[in-house]
Amino acid sequence: MIKEINDKNFGEEITNSDSIVVVDFWAPWCGPCKMLSPVIEELAKEMGKEVKFAKVNVDENPLISSKYRIASIPTVMVFSKDTVKETMVGFRPKADIKKIIQRNL
Amino acid sequence: MGERYDIAIIGTGPAGLEAAINAKIRNKNIIIFGSLDLSPKLVKAPKINNFLGFYNVTGKDLKNQFAAHISAMGIGIVRERINNVYAMGDYFALMVNEKIYEAKAIILATGIEYAKPLKGEEEFLGKGVGYCATCDAPLYKGKIVVIVGYNKESEEEANYVSELSSKTYYIPMYKGEYKLNPNVEIISRKPMEIVGDDRVTKIILAQGEIITDGIFMLRDSLSPSQLVPGLQIEEGHIKVDRNMMTNIEGCYAAGDCTGKPYQYMKAAGEGQVASLSAVTYLDKANEKK
Repeated sequence: MIKEINDKNFGEEITNSDSIVVVDFWAPWCGPCKMLSPVIEELAKEMGKEVKFAKVNVDENPLISSKYRIASIPTVMVFSKDTVKETMVGFRPKADIKKIIQRNL
Repeated sequence: MGERYDIAIIGTGPAGLEAAINAKIRNKNIIIFGSLDLSPKLVKAPKINNFLGFYNVTGKDLKNQFAAHISAMGIGIVRERINNVYAMGDYFALMVNEKIYEAKAIILATGIEYAKPLKGEEEFLGKGVGYCATCDAPLYKGKIVVIVGYNKESEEEANYVSELSSKTYYIPMYKGEYKLNPNVEIISRKPMEIVGDDRVTKIILAQGEIITDGIFMLRDSLSPSQLVPGLQIEEGHIKVDRNMMTNIEGCYAAGDCTGKPYQYMKAAGEGQVASLSAVTYLDKANEKK
């Protein structure tokens, strides 16, 4: 399952998570984001037990987007507590993202 | 969304065509994207003496032979330009503006005519440098944006960006009339380098520089790594193994795009290997089901 998070609950959802959190920054007008979301959903199905998956709509959540300096979407970040472990900019094949998540487990 | 093809081939030079005829012989459902001229390089060649079986032919002669060959086999060329290919897992999505084609395997046979990136461009990709202005424009609301436009279509993107940004500069890389909003400032100077610290701060021109928050490079021809996000490149060419497989499962490459020597026979040979590898990949995938 992919949790929709926002400016208000971002901190608690990320920091209070026992597992690492994969956050997909997206917007409805972005084509590559639309292609990436089913890929993230599949990963969430496969890895949902060990990893938390979340998404942030950058249109509605400018505070978080500017805090993490999102300059291009889609951007996928891997968080451990409040540290950014990985940043992936642009669409990536599923196998790539999986590898990057796995090395942070 | 239409049917899902077995193999999509991008490019109609010798590599792409050889891949197409072999896949067709193996009875695969294929689609091939390119132009009716097949390959601009081929048409321009004055004399060819190293293509076995064809002594002393012109590039045009050879092109006509190629065209006759594929048409005899019922292979039609789709004259569309693929903007992006997304590896979705068990299939590929090929984007043509708003349209999507789907294929189980792909063969890249795009040749090697793409512009070299600007100094600093790759380093700052995603940190202020982007290739899709319409995708990322809202992130630059109230900020300064520079657009380096290589074609007429870039003007539309510049106009769109100018509605959101605080200031838009347009650097045209071609000559002509520019249809731009009055608030877009045209800078007719050659861009030299993109600089910044952890993000883009400015673009250096042949004369002077522009302080900016973001730079969009809007080119005609995409490098393979932009065309297929996640594709591994080595020294400017697509990295392949002996089966012409790239780092992405189901994605093969053939011809000049994989490396030197840039020759017709090498390209055709690689196209054949890529095609047969793709066929083997598809057959294996079918067995699993």
